[in-house]
Amino acid sequence: MKSSWLPRLKPLIPELLGLLVLVLFPILPLGWRALHLPEVILFVPVQEFLDRVASQLPIIFILTILALGLNVIVGYTGLLHLGMGAFFGIGAYLTGILTVPGYPFECGFWLALVLSTAGAALAGVMLGAPTLRLRGDYLALVTLGFGEVVRFSLRNLEEITAGTRALNPIPPPNLRWLGLTPGSWSDDMRPFYYLTLVLLVGIVWLLRNLERSRLGRAWVAIREDELAATCMGINAPRAKLAAFAVGSALAGLAGSLYATKLTTTAGPDAYDFNRSIIVLACVILGGLGSIRGVIVGSMLLIGFDNVFAPMLDGVIQKANINPTGSRFLMFTNWRLIIFGLALVLMMRYRPAGLLPAKRGVGL
Amino acid sequence: MPLLTVEHLRAGYGPIEVLKDISLEVNEGEIVTMIGANGAGKTTTLMTISGAVRARAGRIVFQGAEIQNRPPHEIVRLGLCQSPEGRKIFPRLTVLENLELGAYTRNDTAGIKRDIDHAYELFPILRERKDQFGGTLSGGEQQMLAVARALLGRPKLLLLDEPSLGLAPLIVLKIFDVIRKLNAEEGMSVLIVEQNARLALKLAHRGYVMETGVITMSDKASSLLNDQRVKDAYLGE
Repeated sequence: MKSSWLPRLKPLIPELLGLLVLVLFPILPLGWRALHLPEVILFVPVQEFLDRVASQLPIIFILTILALGLNVIVGYTGLLHLGMGAFFGIGAYLTGILTVPGYPFECGFWLALVLSTAGAALAGVMLGAPTLRLRGDYLALVTLGFGEVVRFSLRNLEEITAGTRALNPIPPPNLRWLGLTPGSWSDDMRPFYYLTLVLLVGIVWLLRNLERSRLGRAWVAIREDELAATCMGINAPRAKLAAFAVGSALAGLAGSLYATKLTTTAGPDAYDFNRSIIVLACVILGGLGSIRGVIVGSMLLIGFDNVFAPMLDGVIQKANINPTGSRFLMFTNWRLIIFGLALVLMMRYRPAGLLPAKRGVGL
Repeated sequence: MPLLTVEHLRAGYGPIEVLKDISLEVNEGEIVTMIGANGAGKTTTLMTISGAVRARAGRIVFQGAEIQNRPPHEIVRLGLCQSPEGRKIFPRLTVLENLELGAYTRNDTAGIKRDIDHAYELFPILRERKDQFGGTLSGGEQQMLAVARALLGRPKLLLLDEPSLGLAPLIVLKIFDVIRKLNAEEGMSVLIVEQNARLALKLAHRGYVMETGVITMSDKASSLLNDQRVKDAYLGE
């Protein structure tokens, strides 16, 4: 037995190296400061960059979980879903309602995390059950519509969701047995960093097993040809519903983490069509149906959005290039164009994504 | 008792009634063919038997149990496996993965492995292509894969929809040879729908002639082959 797991780890070397970097990363900005290295090297504000990456990585991990959820629906099963933001929002608001003082529950982070995940999965099944017999474009339209319905519901059900004021403060997770007080979650980025990283790794491990399971093979068969899949004895309606449930559950989990990280549900507009599309772009850029690809795609796109673009704007501002505040010289305003360009270039040069699934079944 | 009995079956799509009154039988160990022109309802008959199209009236009895309007995946589990029209292999999965999906309803790993080997013996080209994507195979190889994949479900009755569609005559003969061999050596029962009436009638024991949703003739295949009306309409003699 001992000799059998080592060769099995071999194809995982890129993942393990990446994981090692991510585990060690929080030490970098601190070390940089401790060693009194220069804060700016060749106009690059290294210290600021490292700090920003470290503070944004938990958000990137969370959105990667969201993208992995969408990958189950779009990548494995081939159902175009344009309303993933709604399930992200359902997770976030469920956590808000379950934990914020003033509501009758105040049930704490861990229970809220589980219930938000389950609640979003249930919402996915409720949306999927009547609509999954629709094909292609029609399903895409229904999910898009559902996304907007959820956003408007969050805004207008003010008695429950506090409308645009959002629900807050969401308390931090309770991990006292690790010596973490509520204060340490806001003073130090590391607890949340490692919490989200551990959850992300766990989810990747689960999905790797899932894609090789009977259900995973059924999803891929349905994506390739639904009629043929049915002829193989696959219960297509049930497998599609399972894909919706798993994908929505991951979105709910991500939403719950997101709200806890921000300590607020951040208002209905954080869960709009834009969110759904950017997550979809992460999946497509990385490679439909490829876990590795979706992780890289999310890191690149969300990293670009949350770290690189704001930093470049900071540099432009500091260098006084744009004294009049022209909108054309603000990099953030160009980001959607750059997203589009990245997708166009990818489709031209790597149509299956940056790291495509090796086989249809993703082995 | 026949393996499969279809009685007064009616089915269609929306306002269009395709099958008006279909009755047929397949006995254990028999090859039965349904011939007829385009649009006669041959494919719809198979799709209704395998549950993909809803039966509006009539009965379908397989091994003594009524199966009309049961969900398709349950019907496959009973031992009715279809190789659908137009082959419908999984293009971006390898040949081996295609075969493995054919065995989706089974979990006897050793048996599946033996049956995959058996499929390779029937169609040796598939062994050579086993790591290739299904979509990169030629039309004939894809049809072989489709038949082999249906066999992996260990069917009690194999439903074949137009296995000769768009293939070179030599390839068609090869595939029909395998079907004959399966029937002779393993007693596999087959219901085969074909436009190539001559070939199908030479292969089958019995045949049905279908015209716009009704069965117009049924007889031993050899008799149909010599019937003047069949000759005029379908054999071009």
